[in-house]
Amino acid sequence: MRRKVLSTSLMILLLGTTILGCSSGDSKTGEAEKETPSGSTEATTYPIQTDKTLTYWGEINGNLIGVKNSHSEIPFFQKWQEKTGVPLKFTAPPTGQVRESFNVMLASGDLPDMLEYNFIGDFPGGPEKAINDGYILKLNDLIDQYAPNLKKYLQDNPDIDKMVKTDSGSYYVFPFVRGDEYLRVFQGPIIRQDWLDELGLPVPETIDEWTTTLRAFKEKKGAAAPFSVVSKPRFFNDSGNGAFLGAFGVNRGFYQEDGQVKFGPAEEGFKEYLTLFQEWYKEGLIDKNISTADTKSVDGNLASGATGASVGNAGGGIGKWQPLVEANDPDAVLVAAPYPVLNKGDIPKFGQLNQGYASEGTVAITTAAKDPELAVRMLDYGYSEEGHMFFNFGEEGVSYNMEGDYPKFTDLLLKNPDKLAPAQAISLYARSSYNGPFVQDKRYAEQFFALQTQRDAIDVWKNTQAAKYNLPSITPTPEESSEYATIMNDINTLVDEMTIKIILGNEPVDQFESYVAKMKSLHLDRAIEIQTAALERYNNR
Amino acid sequence: MSNRQSFRSRFMRDFMMNKYLYIMMIPVIGYYLIFHYGPMYGAIIAFKDYSPMKGILGSDWVGLKHFEEFFNSYYFLRVLKNTLLISLYTLVFEFPAPIILALLINEVRKRAFKRVVQTITYMPYFISLVVICGIITDFTNADGLINRLIMMLGYDGQAMLQKPELFRPIYVLSEIWQRIGWESIIYIAALMSIDLEQYEAAKIDGASRLKQMFHITLPGLLPIITIMFILRMGNMLNVGFEKIILLYNPVTYETADVISSFVYRKGLLEFGWSYSSAVGLFNSVINLVLLISANYISRRVSQNSLW
Repeated sequence: MRRKVLSTSLMILLLGTTILGCSSGDSKTGEAEKETPSGSTEATTYPIQTDKTLTYWGEINGNLIGVKNSHSEIPFFQKWQEKTGVPLKFTAPPTGQVRESFNVMLASGDLPDMLEYNFIGDFPGGPEKAINDGYILKLNDLIDQYAPNLKKYLQDNPDIDKMVKTDSGSYYVFPFVRGDEYLRVFQGPIIRQDWLDELGLPVPETIDEWTTTLRAFKEKKGAAAPFSVVSKPRFFNDSGNGAFLGAFGVNRGFYQEDGQVKFGPAEEGFKEYLTLFQEWYKEGLIDKNISTADTKSVDGNLASGATGASVGNAGGGIGKWQPLVEANDPDAVLVAAPYPVLNKGDIPKFGQLNQGYASEGTVAITTAAKDPELAVRMLDYGYSEEGHMFFNFGEEGVSYNMEGDYPKFTDLLLKNPDKLAPAQAISLYARSSYNGPFVQDKRYAEQFFALQTQRDAIDVWKNTQAAKYNLPSITPTPEESSEYATIMNDINTLVDEMTIKIILGNEPVDQFESYVAKMKSLHLDRAIEIQTAALERYNNR
Repeated sequence: MSNRQSFRSRFMRDFMMNKYLYIMMIPVIGYYLIFHYGPMYGAIIAFKDYSPMKGILGSDWVGLKHFEEFFNSYYFLRVLKNTLLISLYTLVFEFPAPIILALLINEVRKRAFKRVVQTITYMPYFISLVVICGIITDFTNADGLINRLIMMLGYDGQAMLQKPELFRPIYVLSEIWQRIGWESIIYIAALMSIDLEQYEAAKIDGASRLKQMFHITLPGLLPIITIMFILRMGNMLNVGFEKIILLYNPVTYETADVISSFVYRKGLLEFGWSYSSAVGLFNSVINLVLLISANYISRRVSQNSLW
């Protein structure tokens, strides 16, 4: 009897076993030295005559989610092959899992010819390590010989040249360059202008004015969450750039001051920021669900009028939210507010400011590439006259027309018949609305920001001293990188816990000192040392 | 049983008699060989600094470096404690739930009602985890469904996922809600195989329904309960990181951060293949020890065991 029960049950169990396969890939070992023929730079005539097909791994931009499923369906990538003459075979990681997919691909050892990836932000140990570990090629000789357009651009722009090299002077990718100051600032505080007008308040500049404003929003406009920001994965994500923190002279990471590298969360200013936000939270001026606030809930709060101020981008913030708030309240207007300061008239110490060299959307050539020369010639197209227009504006007569010498986007992009937003439509025909191996043109943004409030926002947010205090894109040495990553992993976890626990009032502000002591015991000083050395190496490039 | 015959001839005879059963076994054995025993050799990267370009065999040996790094980590004790506690709570509260449900369903006489209850309880199992966590987040918000009910009773609402002390209850309760129906199926199936004559006999002896449940149904279920328990012990440390990662945030790290989520933040995102393997291996060793001890104890105490 007992046996019968047992056997029945075991049968059911076996049938119910779900199949989870996990395979381990073996990988090719050893890499043949690539020989590069010597010779001076030679110009390439496009389209190149070739019978080879190259493989290309890269993410499909988020703008195109739900619009197109693969590179081969996107007009830009079809034309790119046509114009350069090089046929490409694309593979794309699932959206939102770029880092994990990249990780798995590396572990399998099965590399494509070209990789579009952020080697500074998303490759532990940085580009130098990627070269040393034998994933990607050092491009110095190849660029020198076969990439005249990029070479010329870097010669003419030594500041960019310094950024796209590693400490030891290796080139490793075809870079994405924000070709104008105007393109480097796109984020900051955003507030409901119509509410301010109704309440007779100015656009807040100082922390005290912000407190007054948020109070008024809560009391007179019935806003349940006057100030709300996206807090996934970290509390107040965008404070990484120093929004609100900057008023107290710190940001959430490393910065430089008087020739010293400092870590914001361990400085006194961070305590003042925590004090302020704890008071705001207690008073109900910050979203009650702040620790679980994601994009969806912030969008919802703004649309419903529960929130009147946030921090976001000109495109993805004002551009996205304006129609949402209008739908609920026809008079609603969102405008940019300057980065807050303590005393009126001060210039904010921090604010969002990207480097001219953005490390995302850059293309490297792998050690597995069958014909690196062809890949280099092909990628160099983006930096030529013709390629510049193609990457920024697409196809003349289709996506833009010349009016005088100004490339004007057509209605196909700005008033898309299929009801695509401009950002999406531009991404179909060009790459200027996100990134890629080319130099971004200011003239795209002038048209892309359809609303005057968006164009004004850039000027409002531009007014900071970030350029002086931000660190350039420095990287630890390959040897130090894992030590640095381990230290910072623990410290950032600690910073996140400290920040949110104190702000929610679970712990008093006085706990700040003990947290700083813990950071020190987790070797914060060593991390600062590594960063200082990296900055020094950068300055000596 | 004549032990004088050689194993081979006995095996051949058995094979001839049960030829088709043997053939049916081949895919199962193959599956385990290919997907479970094959990858085991890859576990040696836990003792190396694995670099894909050098391959598994070509990477450098580093001994116990990754294990030391994990044990010496600032958060090691905390994530270990959380892992054990969350496992323990799930074991204590979630493990018996489907058994109780199966017993209750067994007592229901109306077939239609039985069906409805079963369907409703096992539905949540088929909803994607991401959706489930979205629902949980919405319900537990300061102005979410649960808090509105609480406010009706005159208490204050609060964002529950911001309270470290509420994380584990939320986790375990939602776990029960999602799995109870699905896991009760096996117990209900086992109940079917209990001899009805026993109930007849008990009735004649004047046992009430409750008495029947305690003296016939439960003992009949005991073998399968034991086996499920032993298997559960073997997964003691495998708290799934997906649900944790979707629900936790820095406020609740102190109660929610478990080994797997910690390794996810550290290993996967930092490309620490060897480090993750080392932690995985550590997990498996502990699980193995728990499994063997559970089996041993169970064999001693109740004569039911896996081997």
